[in-house]
Amino acid sequence: MAEAQAGPPPLNLDAPHKTPYVSIWMRIRPVYPFLLVIFIWQITAWFLHDLMGDLFPYFGSILFRGWELITGPLVKAMGVDVDTGFLTQLYAIIFKNPLGFIDQLKYLSDSPLLWHTLSTAWRLPFSFMIASVIGVTVGIMMGRFAFWEGFFVPLLSVLLPIPALAWTPIAVIWFGNGDQTVILVTAFASFLPIAMAVWTGVKTINPVWIRAAQSMNADKMTIFRTVVLPGSLPMILSGMRIGLARAWRAGVGAEAFAGIRWGLSAGIFDAQEYLDTAFMMVAIAVLGIFGYLLEKVLFQPIETRTIIKWGMMEEMGGQDKKV
Amino acid sequence: MPTKIQIQNLRKVYDTPERKVHALENVNIDIQDGEFICLVGLSGCGKTTLLNILAGFVEITHGDVYMDGKPITEDYDKGVVFQEYALFPWLTAVQNVEYGMKIRNVPPDERKRIAMEFLRLVRLEEFADLFPHSLSGGMRQRVAVARALAFDPQVLLMDEPFGALDAQTREELQDLTVDVWQKTKKTVIYVTHNLAEAVFLGNRVVVFIPNPGRIREILTIDFPRPRDALAPEFIKTQRRINELIRDWK
Repeated sequence: MAEAQAGPPPLNLDAPHKTPYVSIWMRIRPVYPFLLVIFIWQITAWFLHDLMGDLFPYFGSILFRGWELITGPLVKAMGVDVDTGFLTQLYAIIFKNPLGFIDQLKYLSDSPLLWHTLSTAWRLPFSFMIASVIGVTVGIMMGRFAFWEGFFVPLLSVLLPIPALAWTPIAVIWFGNGDQTVILVTAFASFLPIAMAVWTGVKTINPVWIRAAQSMNADKMTIFRTVVLPGSLPMILSGMRIGLARAWRAGVGAEAFAGIRWGLSAGIFDAQEYLDTAFMMVAIAVLGIFGYLLEKVLFQPIETRTIIKWGMMEEMGGQDKKV
Repeated sequence: MPTKIQIQNLRKVYDTPERKVHALENVNIDIQDGEFICLVGLSGCGKTTLLNILAGFVEITHGDVYMDGKPITEDYDKGVVFQEYALFPWLTAVQNVEYGMKIRNVPPDERKRIAMEFLRLVRLEEFADLFPHSLSGGMRQRVAVARALAFDPQVLLMDEPFGALDAQTREELQDLTVDVWQKTKKTVIYVTHNLAEAVFLGNRVVVFIPNPGRIREILTIDFPRPRDALAPEFIKTQRRINELIRDWK
């Protein structure tokens, strides 16, 4: 008797998923544009070296300046010459360090880069938080009550196109030099787009959702809480994104003009006096990294847990998956 | 059978700044308790307006609507299924079904149990915890039907609920609708422009004609269920309704 023809192997849908293979090329793909830019930078620096010297520093000098800005006080405290190279200093820190662990931390925490970054790092999110609370509240009031809509829309429409930096000199005169001025200007700059976006979100919510809730006899407050708020979340979040971007820009400008000592961009403008291009590049890089992380830490988790999960927004880069 | 809804001398005029639209004129229907009634007609004939009046979305210009002998109030219990996907995307299927009960302060355990019961009724209990965007169009409308029924409304209002679905899914959902209706014994008012659907589903079919929207005729459909959509008398009825809709002066 002939054997029955072998069918396909038994189907097991519960088997663990295969992780798709990602080639090394795919993994480093996001890095290569940076490598290319650095390469071009190096060549340019090499050509300009005779002409400009450290005003157009080599990439290595920028890296070393970054290192110096972090470990400078520590290296000095150890009695090592600050002009020695990176490897000498690293070697000294690891193997020839006369200081105890606590002292090391103390000197590391004196690093100027850390202080610049920390100053920017609390001022900015703090101003942004104020702007978000006020912006969302005002936006909702505009969306819900015709009176406030009539009041705020003309005002905000005129204020929105004014770059926040233009306000900074006035703010300095009124509120003096210092954190308060930076915070006010930053918060004001990011409040405007947030309020506008929330207002749009509340106004353009899908009316059939409201009707559905009405048909189940939800009262106005319940509809607002359970339908309008979650339904306008995509617009609220995108408004906050724009708000954050504007806060970032305004904050950087205001820091420079408000006569404060610590802050990444305050540092950049200071460094201009000393022609310390390398410092400026380091600070700019930290600004970039910080802004990127803020976006990653603040928005992505919220979006993944809400509007992406609900299918109200495509994941960033989600267009790869379609076709 | 007692009369559930009584519509008397109903008139609706939409008064917009540009012009007045005479949407309904002299509409009279008595809807029995537990009846499945279909409203058909060309677009602009006022069938959706009538449904929106019953749903409380639109105010009456003139005339009366009685529910169990009393004038209807805005907040009587009605379940509405919309043509568009009206599920809340931020709630899972079962949370959507629970929504109406939540508003009526049904305790959480109870409301979860009832919601699952209605999801079973529309054969979706396995999909209870999925968000609407991962359900197909047909499945979404089934959840919408479950949501509209779960808080035990007095009437179920359906506005071309399956109009956006493909033909096979629509047929499947028509069968399901009849099944749900027979099990729950609700009064259903169903707006459609699909005549086969109306004859398949309804105990009675109300034929509307436009300008102004008014009732041309009310036909009683007494074919036994389950109905055969290809039977000669079924097609004959469909043809008759088609003539009523189109040939009027």
